[in-house]
Amino acid sequence: MVDVIKKNVKALQESLFSSVGSSVLTIGTTYLVLNFFRGMFGFVMSSDKDWLAVLNNMQLYMVQAYPESDFIRVWISVGLTFVFSGISIGLWRSEDRSNVSVIFDRFFKIGLGVLFFTIVAPTFTSYMGNDGSVITEEIFSRSTRLGLLIPTLIGTVAFFGLKNMKINFSYNNSDVVFLYLFIPVVLLWFVKLPVIQLDQNKERIMPDPLMPIANTTKIPWSIIFVMFLISYFIGIYFKDVKRLKNVMSISWFLLPLLIFSWIFKKPQIDMGEVLTGDIPIFFIFFIVGLVTVLFINNPIVKKYYSIYLGIILVGTLAGIFISIPMLAKACLLLLSLFSMVVPAVSTSDQGKRSLIIIWFVALVTLTFLLRGGASETGIVVPGSSIFGGFSLTWLLAIFGTYVSFPLGVMLALGRNSKLPIVRIICTGIIELVRSVPYITWLFFASVTLAVFLPAGVEFNLIVRVLMVTAFFSGAYFAENIRGGLQSIPKGQYEAADAIGMSPFQKTGLIVLPQALRAVIPTLVSSAITAFKDSSLVTIIGLFDFLTIGKTVIDNQSVPVNFVGHQRENLIFVAVVYWIFTFTLSRRSMKVEKRLGLGER
Amino acid sequence: MSIIQANGVKKWFGDFQALKGISMEIAEGEVLVICGPSGSGKSTFIRCINRLEQHQEGEIIVDGTELTNDLKNIETIRAEVGMVFQSFNLFPHLTVMQNITLAPIWVRKKSRSDSEEKAMELLNRVGIPEQADKYPGQLSGGQQQRVAIARALAMDPKIMLFDEPTSALDPEMIKEVLDAMKELAKSGMTMIVVTHEMGFAKEVADRVMLFDEGMMVEENTPDEFFDNPKNDRTKLFLSQIL
Repeated sequence: MVDVIKKNVKALQESLFSSVGSSVLTIGTTYLVLNFFRGMFGFVMSSDKDWLAVLNNMQLYMVQAYPESDFIRVWISVGLTFVFSGISIGLWRSEDRSNVSVIFDRFFKIGLGVLFFTIVAPTFTSYMGNDGSVITEEIFSRSTRLGLLIPTLIGTVAFFGLKNMKINFSYNNSDVVFLYLFIPVVLLWFVKLPVIQLDQNKERIMPDPLMPIANTTKIPWSIIFVMFLISYFIGIYFKDVKRLKNVMSISWFLLPLLIFSWIFKKPQIDMGEVLTGDIPIFFIFFIVGLVTVLFINNPIVKKYYSIYLGIILVGTLAGIFISIPMLAKACLLLLSLFSMVVPAVSTSDQGKRSLIIIWFVALVTLTFLLRGGASETGIVVPGSSIFGGFSLTWLLAIFGTYVSFPLGVMLALGRNSKLPIVRIICTGIIELVRSVPYITWLFFASVTLAVFLPAGVEFNLIVRVLMVTAFFSGAYFAENIRGGLQSIPKGQYEAADAIGMSPFQKTGLIVLPQALRAVIPTLVSSAITAFKDSSLVTIIGLFDFLTIGKTVIDNQSVPVNFVGHQRENLIFVAVVYWIFTFTLSRRSMKVEKRLGLGER
Repeated sequence: MSIIQANGVKKWFGDFQALKGISMEIAEGEVLVICGPSGSGKSTFIRCINRLEQHQEGEIIVDGTELTNDLKNIETIRAEVGMVFQSFNLFPHLTVMQNITLAPIWVRKKSRSDSEEKAMELLNRVGIPEQADKYPGQLSGGQQQRVAIARALAMDPKIMLFDEPTSALDPEMIKEVLDAMKELAKSGMTMIVVTHEMGFAKEVADRVMLFDEGMMVEENTPDEFFDNPKNDRTKLFLSQIL
């Protein structure tokens, strides 16, 4: 025991006080951190701050004015995301194991931190009262301090002992996610939070009583946790089914579309339209695709196939301008892409079979999503849009990244292309989009975009914002990826050529994987920027997460007066943003490590 | 019947003429060593054979197909011609096994299990079966070059091109690569080897050529080439290199 302490003290000495310079740095930084902490602690605890302004408005923060009767849709979308995550974690479960002492060590360090900050926390704080006088109050009494110190000390010592007991028990690194999630879910059932209660005169009762967390919060979360766990086991069970991994990857891409068009919105469907429009269109295109696949190897068909392809391409272009149902336009576009792929893949029976399956699934998905996306929503929300608060921020970030990333890849490849027209178009798009500020693009989306769309086509403001966001961050992604493409040595291209790979295979299998890997850090920082920049939508009248905290709650006076409590809300918003971006950057570091960047 | 035929191949890089009319023939199963000072066009010439460089005049016929801009021809020829580079050019993001099976699976459309079986066989042949699951970055230079040979062989090529395969290697690793190449030559593979390893040329080659300033200055059997060269340029070259 003494040895361990001696060793640690020596290590501290070496790392913190090795020279005069480092000693000065250590003392200086400690002083700064201490003062920052004491200041923040005083700010958070002082009685003129009303944290209920945050706690009481959680619902507003998450979904803005979304009607409570449709909350099930929100829960389903959250639940679906977790189920997908569960299956994915199970499918891609890592085989890395860590010794349980790692967890004890982590808790021990947290305990040490809590101990340190409990000791240095200020007892008194002072703030400026309404009349300008300085009010000093006790915020951290001796008994609270002791009440916190003693259990933490016991816990810390216990974890220190456990950590040094050399317990020979290891756990799977993927499993531990569930332990860390289990803790907050269990806490939901025991923690009591202060809530605002009003008396019969609609006056706030002080002090606010502590109440258990509402059933409408804890029951859905518990169900989601259980589903998460079950889907994880399903994932593990099907771990060896290779095809499922591909299905999951595509599903992840479709999930936001599904949530956007079917779950977060209540599509008002006219069954007549479905029967007379969607289903016939679906069958016509399915049969055309089927016939193409079945008869492609017929010599006569082969001979005239390029003419057929030309007709479809012209039809697709014409379809954009003539007024046919949206579904038919999208199907035409899909058909022209499909027809280009068919001759290359349908060389064997197996290829033909998978082509037909892909064609069927793609058409069903397209019809389903378009019907949901194009229909009017049945959800009526006061304000500009059905999305607001964190769900809007999240939608802009996730959806923006999902669309802009493939777009960025295509633009980057196009800019490096040997074909001059493709190169000029891609360079033009990138330069045009990048050289105009994002705010200008947002105004463009809200005011001008409708002018550029064909007559009769109208999108919701959020969809228009998503479109410009996709292009804006797509341009940045493109430039990042181009940097990665340029880092690939010429020898890689030659080696791929020399083994007879086609240009597509060369790009998809050799160049892109290496290029993307090289630019993961910049890609992540672009994604983080996109996430944070989503708060700019406030200037065109959308109520994102930040706007709720800064403007909406600050002006709330009914039923409870929260006017003037902006600072608490801003701190809360900042913390939430930080949690998400920090998690993202930690995950990306793990991905980098896993891909072995820098090792090879 | 010659498997490669070149008639008056000329190639310019801008104003600089790298190949000044090369004509030659190689029979099936023959091992040809090309040597010469740097900048003599020997690498350029073999890179023309699988169209990594384009020649501007003359014709090259590989296995009955003439090299033109027709993309289909190029891909067929590249599948028939394996190439090993000076700087290995393995794919660093794939394991050794994936490096070798990539082309059979995607270009030849073979099944994964067949390709992997074949790859293990090839790794055994070049003597590094235990490295199958490592990444190229974890291997020594000699091992990487042997993987590169296995990768080229996985396509069942009729012709193998070696572009200075040992120049980037430490002396003690050269031998292991040369051994693999000798074994390959004995198995009857048609090979064109650009190298400065004169020992290899003496022992394995059926013919030796000397390139200088874009021209072929001497073509001879190895014995004659080393003991009784016809050309003065060859004598000078040999005196410098030996």
